[in-house]
Amino acid sequence: MDALKHAIDLLSAPTISFTLITVLFPFVFPPGDWFEKIHRKLGFWRIWTKPGLYISLVLITLFFIMGYYDPNFNITLTKPDNFPIILLVYSVVICTWLSMYKAYENDKRMDRGEKPAEYNDPDDKVLVWPDLVYIEFIALIIFMVFLIVWSVLVAAPLEEPANPAATPNPSKAPWYFLGLQEMLVYYDPWLAGVIFPGLIIVGLMAIPYITTSSDNLSGFYSFKERRVGIFLFMYGFLILWIFLIFIGTFFRGPNWNFFGPFEYWDPHKLVPLTNVNLSEYFWVKWIKTGLPSNILLRESIGFISVIIYLGVLPVLLAKYVLNDFLKKVGPVKFSFFVFFGLSMLSLPLKMYLRWMFNLKYIIAIPEWFFNI
Amino acid sequence: MSEEKFIPEASVGTPQGKGSGSTMERRSFFKWLSIGWLAFTAATGAFFTVLIRFLFPNVLFEPPQSFKIGYPEEFEIGKVDIRFKKKYNVWIVRNEEGMYALSTVCTHLGCTPNWLDTERKFKCPCHGSGFRATGMNFEGPAPRPLERFAIHLADDGQVIVDKNKNFKFEKGEWGRSESFLKV
Amino acid sequence: MSKKKSKQTLIERMGNSQIWKSIIRSGIPRTRRQRMHAILGSVFLHLHPARLPKHAVKIGYTWCMGGLSFFLFVVLTITGIMLMFYYRPTVEYAYTDIIDLGEQVPLGIMRELHRWGAHAMVLTVWLHMLRVFMTGSYKPPREFNWGVGVLLMTITLFLSFTGYLLPWDQLAIWAVTVGTNMARATPFLGNEGPGAAMLAIGDINLVHAGSDVRFALLGGRFVGEATLLRFYVLHCIGVPFIAMIFMAVHFWRIRKDGGISGPL
Ligand code: HEM
Repeated sequence: MDALKHAIDLLSAPTISFTLITVLFPFVFPPGDWFEKIHRKLGFWRIWTKPGLYISLVLITLFFIMGYYDPNFNITLTKPDNFPIILLVYSVVICTWLSMYKAYENDKRMDRGEKPAEYNDPDDKVLVWPDLVYIEFIALIIFMVFLIVWSVLVAAPLEEPANPAATPNPSKAPWYFLGLQEMLVYYDPWLAGVIFPGLIIVGLMAIPYITTSSDNLSGFYSFKERRVGIFLFMYGFLILWIFLIFIGTFFRGPNWNFFGPFEYWDPHKLVPLTNVNLSEYFWVKWIKTGLPSNILLRESIGFISVIIYLGVLPVLLAKYVLNDFLKKVGPVKFSFFVFFGLSMLSLPLKMYLRWMFNLKYIIAIPEWFFNI
Repeated sequence: MSEEKFIPEASVGTPQGKGSGSTMERRSFFKWLSIGWLAFTAATGAFFTVLIRFLFPNVLFEPPQSFKIGYPEEFEIGKVDIRFKKKYNVWIVRNEEGMYALSTVCTHLGCTPNWLDTERKFKCPCHGSGFRATGMNFEGPAPRPLERFAIHLADDGQVIVDKNKNFKFEKGEWGRSESFLKV
Repeated sequence: MSKKKSKQTLIERMGNSQIWKSIIRSGIPRTRRQRMHAILGSVFLHLHPARLPKHAVKIGYTWCMGGLSFFLFVVLTITGIMLMFYYRPTVEYAYTDIIDLGEQVPLGIMRELHRWGAHAMVLTVWLHMLRVFMTGSYKPPREFNWGVGVLLMTITLFLSFTGYLLPWDQLAIWAVTVGTNMARATPFLGNEGPGAAMLAIGDINLVHAGSDVRFALLGGRFVGEATLLRFYVLHCIGVPFIAMIFMAVHFWRIRKDGGISGPL
């Protein structure tokens, strides 16, 4: 048991777990033919069958039961405000599974030349009264009962009265913002707290306008029809949002250090966090001249990298990788797509730069509060 | 029944005197139209400006920003004094040459770091930024050192900290005489 | 025999009574026509069309998540109004009022219903977005409504966030301190944002701790009395009001865009 717990602790370190999930992800939601082939070969498609769901649920439940009986994990697990996260894990797993299960069923039907399961004869409609009204009524009652039981069983948390002088350790944002707080480890507040949330909102709103019109089919579950879209959306939603919330809730302890789920939250855990800016790497470590005093010269390498990333890379992509897509949607949609895509990608990118090279900032101009 | 409908003269306008007369009218119409729109835009803009200004009150009911903290001899050399953290949000640090007042607001996201005496550093509980006793940041996400406040001696020999003035290292302000009290 | 007949007529008599007919204009919804009238004649139910394709009423298709989000919004409105009867948004009373709500008020779970309901609503809104995406329902002609939905999600999160401060405990003020400190870093508009230093006349900074967006949100330089009041007003009136407007648009557009999406 202890060996298993230890193994889980090691595996859940963000460096490992994040890498693992990211590498496996395209094989679980295959965005292309090659991935699809491996997806079939490795049997990952079984996740989206009924046994797949049962096994996932059993595994998750076992994990939580193990946590419940572990003295360390128990503390975080049974915090009343963390209960929604447990609910979140179950409901996201079930809902993702349900949509993929239905999508695969529909894909099979359409391969056979049939219409998707949602299809009905347009003349064969049901009456809203009673058919829909009753379903809503029942859903409402069940949900209300659930909410009342939850409220009776779990008291709403109330900690000590506010004290502006004593910051609790760790201090966490509400759970639905923990994804953003996790981002704050890697990016400065003006990016992680203002620009990126803004881009998430605008990017989500832009989705219907930058998808190709040829997959203009809506109103039924399907994977094949829109596999690239689902792959990208799910990576953002499941990994960069839900998974980061999970990490932030259960794995971030005192001083925002990382702790495995079964690890004791030691407030004195020492983690060397000596991060280095790109400019220091270049001027001090590499060409050994010391930092130039002119700010723009000092950070020129950083500016060049950012310009390459956001300016040159899209052109290269348009020429060599995504030229079919560009032809299909035209330059305007393409530019927006690539911009939002690269912005999304910049989070995992910076995470890895931090983990591998202890890179603090690509552009570091604290004088102007301009750090990237 | 008469076939003809009565058409009031005013609704048709004057057919005679076209040419220069009607263009004049058109021109003056546009003039008034643009003046009207300009006035409307200006009024709307002014209204929203006032709305935004409304969010910033003229008087703030916050604790005093300038206060006495005692005599210099009361502070031990080499120690970080945390007595004023709760009430005034400052740490007083005394070294051989003198003393300075550090803001307790982490430069990352404004949490309050804790002074860890054994490790001789300020450690922020929110995202793990670390600062030396001087206020210099050396680990974690904090982008810049802690700020210092103006500090000087009052006539009665007590030390006064004035939080109205702060000094930022990255702007080279720590060298100013007000930021450091020589004792 | 006569008993059975009179029993039947009791319901029928009720349905034909002046009072019933004045309320449910079409009598007891028995026939197809009456049932359609029951929907069309009700200001609440006519959010729905009278008839729907079969798949649209299946739980497996919509997961009922949009409906539950709206239901939770209603629950939160009601329980929230109840809480307002006891809660005073001042640093002096807020915390103790919250304790009293649990201990001195009958039916001491009102606060729980409100808090857990709020958490649940964040969840249902996310899951609703997931199902809309997975069914491809964001595609034309529903692009605009997807956008309205994204704004509704943002509003939901902001509602939840403003409510988080009100208990005035350690959890509350530090979560809000961390959250609102990000506003300090807003480009140009925050006193520690990039570009803010450019907005200056000579030596005078236009954007400083007393004039930036964070100040407008907090009503002060730090989370204090004024912040509590501002968040309270936003939480109880400002944001719900905006949410209701957007929901009205959202529901209206579902109907106008051809009802629940479905394959052609
Ligand atoms: C306060 C939050 C929200 C409420 C109360 C709400 C309510 C609803 C309801 C009742 C429906 C009917 C179908 C269903 O239940 O699934 C619906 C449909 C829809 N919602 Fe929402 N919604 C909310 C947020 C969102 C969000 C966050 C999105 C997307 C980002 C969204 C996009 C849509 C779209 C595109 C439809 C049409 C779907 C179709 O025709 O199949 N909504 N909404």
